[in-house]
Amino acid sequence: MAATSTRAVSLAETFRQHPERRYVMFGGKGGLGKTTFSAATGHWLASQGHKVLVFSVDPQASLSDIFQRDIFGKGPVKITENLWAQEIDADQHIKEYQDEIRQKILDMYGMESVPEEIEDYIAAASAEPAMEESAIFDSVVDIVNQGDYDYYIYDLVPLGHALYYLSMAKVYDEWITRITKLREEMREHQEMVARIRREKEVEEDQILAELRFIRDRINTASGILTDRQRTAFFFVLVPEEMILVDTKKAAGLFEAFNVPIAGYIVNRVIPEDLLGEDVPPYLVNRIEMQRKYLSRIRDDFGDQILAEVHEMERDVTGMDMIEKVAARMYGEA
Amino acid sequence: MAEDAKDQPEEPRHGVRGFMEKVRQVTYGMAAHDMTRYALRTRASMEHLFILVTMGDMLGVPILPPYYSMRLLPYVVPQVSTWKRRMLREKDVTDAMF
Repeated sequence: MAATSTRAVSLAETFRQHPERRYVMFGGKGGLGKTTFSAATGHWLASQGHKVLVFSVDPQASLSDIFQRDIFGKGPVKITENLWAQEIDADQHIKEYQDEIRQKILDMYGMESVPEEIEDYIAAASAEPAMEESAIFDSVVDIVNQGDYDYYIYDLVPLGHALYYLSMAKVYDEWITRITKLREEMREHQEMVARIRREKEVEEDQILAELRFIRDRINTASGILTDRQRTAFFFVLVPEEMILVDTKKAAGLFEAFNVPIAGYIVNRVIPEDLLGEDVPPYLVNRIEMQRKYLSRIRDDFGDQILAEVHEMERDVTGMDMIEKVAARMYGEA
Repeated sequence: MAEDAKDQPEEPRHGVRGFMEKVRQVTYGMAAHDMTRYALRTRASMEHLFILVTMGDMLGVPILPPYYSMRLLPYVVPQVSTWKRRMLREKDVTDAMF
């Protein structure tokens, strides 16, 4: 633990230096400890007196496991003083959304039931994989818009999803701008007809309003990931070759999409003070290997490394273990 | 057409004003009718284009993320069947007529 203390302060320091930050994210390959760090950071920030929401949209969400509470699809659940956790049920969200659309159609046209053709479309659309990503990011907008918390810790789904969404957002923004233009031109024609026929003003184009709404939602969602002021994105990695290579690649991609990378956290570092006495060669080899990659990580990322966290003696579940990890990350008891 | 109307022999004086008024109305009516028809046709084409780019996956052309295109679905419900017919039908002579 002694080895981590000097660096650990710097992670805590970044939070003190940037009180304007609101959205905290830990990204990295699966299984490196994103959820653990999310929970530990939530715990630490809450202990500093901030109101914190840790939330996840992963269908295989693990917040329930780490907090040892069943919170899936139950809205924000209070874990301890100032700390709340939420697991979004994307499927449920999609179902409710579909029902809303159906109800709107019935209301608008006074129909008894939704026409078959339309019903087919709703069913087919929901089967698309992009549906889930959009639903996830859209529900994040709802959570963040409510603005009930000081910090939002976003336990991200694996990196690919976020990148996929960001690239979608870029294309959609452009695309919606264009169809908005088309819609406005349509309106001009409509107005001309109205003028010639001396009819009253054409009614407001509701589709145009919807398009603007959609663009706003997409931009808010991608803005949460790319806000230079309020977003802190931390990469989690472990001292192993593959992870190092992949992390660099991912970091490059994220930078290309303007995600502000706040720093790197190295996890699963085997404490060197285990060396000595009768150490089996297996462990010696692992420590040797880690030493090699740690020095490469330090060379490559330098002072962007905010913490090096030791491999824990057991898996992290329950508040006691979360507290321990938080202490190692933030260097405070 | 308006030219033809002007070339016609003069009507008795008291009728001239009334006649010219009629001519003006007819001319205006014809031009305006054309313009209106044209504007409406253009608008209808655009409407179909719009549904194509938003609801394209109904015809197997995915464009807008379905999550958001569903928001627009209620507004295009009445147009969907005519749109599908228009988009999927073969081009023929009658296209030029309507």
